[in-house]
Amino acid sequence: MEMRDWNILLVDDEVEFISTLAERLELRGIPNRVVYDGESALKAVAENEPQVMVLDVMMPGLKGLDVLQRIKVEHPAVQVILLTGQGKTRDGIDGMRLGAFAYLMKPLDLEELIRTLAEAMQARSGEQS
Amino acid sequence: MSPVATEARFMGKVTAMTMHEMQNILAIIRESAGLMGDILRINAKIDFKHRPNMERTLDHISTQVERGKKLLEATSRLAHSPDDDLLLACDLSIYARTVALLSERQIRLKGAAVHFTPASSPLPVAVGALMVLMSGYHAVQWAVGPGGKNTDIHIGLEPGLTEHGLTITPPPGQDVDPDQLNPDSMNLPGQAARIDWDGQRLALFFPARTGE
Repeated sequence: MEMRDWNILLVDDEVEFISTLAERLELRGIPNRVVYDGESALKAVAENEPQVMVLDVMMPGLKGLDVLQRIKVEHPAVQVILLTGQGKTRDGIDGMRLGAFAYLMKPLDLEELIRTLAEAMQARSGEQS
Repeated sequence: MSPVATEARFMGKVTAMTMHEMQNILAIIRESAGLMGDILRINAKIDFKHRPNMERTLDHISTQVERGKKLLEATSRLAHSPDDDLLLACDLSIYARTVALLSERQIRLKGAAVHFTPASSPLPVAVGALMVLMSGYHAVQWAVGPGGKNTDIHIGLEPGLTEHGLTITPPPGQDVDPDQLNPDSMNLPGQAARIDWDGQRLALFFPARTGE
């Protein structure tokens, strides 16, 4: 699948971070949507299921791992890439146990994110074929 | 829990929260500088007087973000080390790297540098993260001595079957006194670790944690 056909949802309460990241992905031809909290993420997935979701673990209100658990029950095909803090590998490991595809640490390496997105897309097509 | 442990936890918790904020700040700086770099690249054919200054400034930002990221990682690991899941066991490969990162500035101030060789796989040990950090940091200070030029310290790992070692190699010819390696001051009470000095490298051997 071409990058321009990807359907990515970005979820993070740090507005300046996630909106700038969204812009950089757009510049590389990767379409995406952005929401800023867990509740809106669940709503956005229900309305238009993304192939991959990039989800911050630490958000006010509904936490990233709670969102992940709900997504894995209600929309198991969605691949979830978690964003965790430096030095807090435990969140990433817990997330992997709950079904996340991968976890990356902030600040992000954009090229690494794009590589992981591509792998998640491939894993999703593999699961669906 | 002892009052000291309670205080360490409090400091750890507050520091970890602050580091989380720092991480978001660095992430915003990195993405914003990245976006400016993207725009400059897209418009590579459009030349303007201060393009080189902008490009150089973006390089500086990127270098400093990388520097900040390492400090953030080390401080976050230190802050989380009194957490429940790290009190009695940890991955030595992670905390050896943290010792190297935390020691960097101290070593640099003495005119030396620290080099770290990572392990190829996790090395679970039955010793808490804070104890590994304290003993490793102390051992690095011992190894660098007064410092100076050509006094680089090498930090590495020696995996084993029943114990894993954190190794610290002072520069050849460095005048180090192994008698100064007091287990108490290195926070190595009882059988928590075995200290081995072979005349070239110091190893702190921690019991391997099996059944992982």
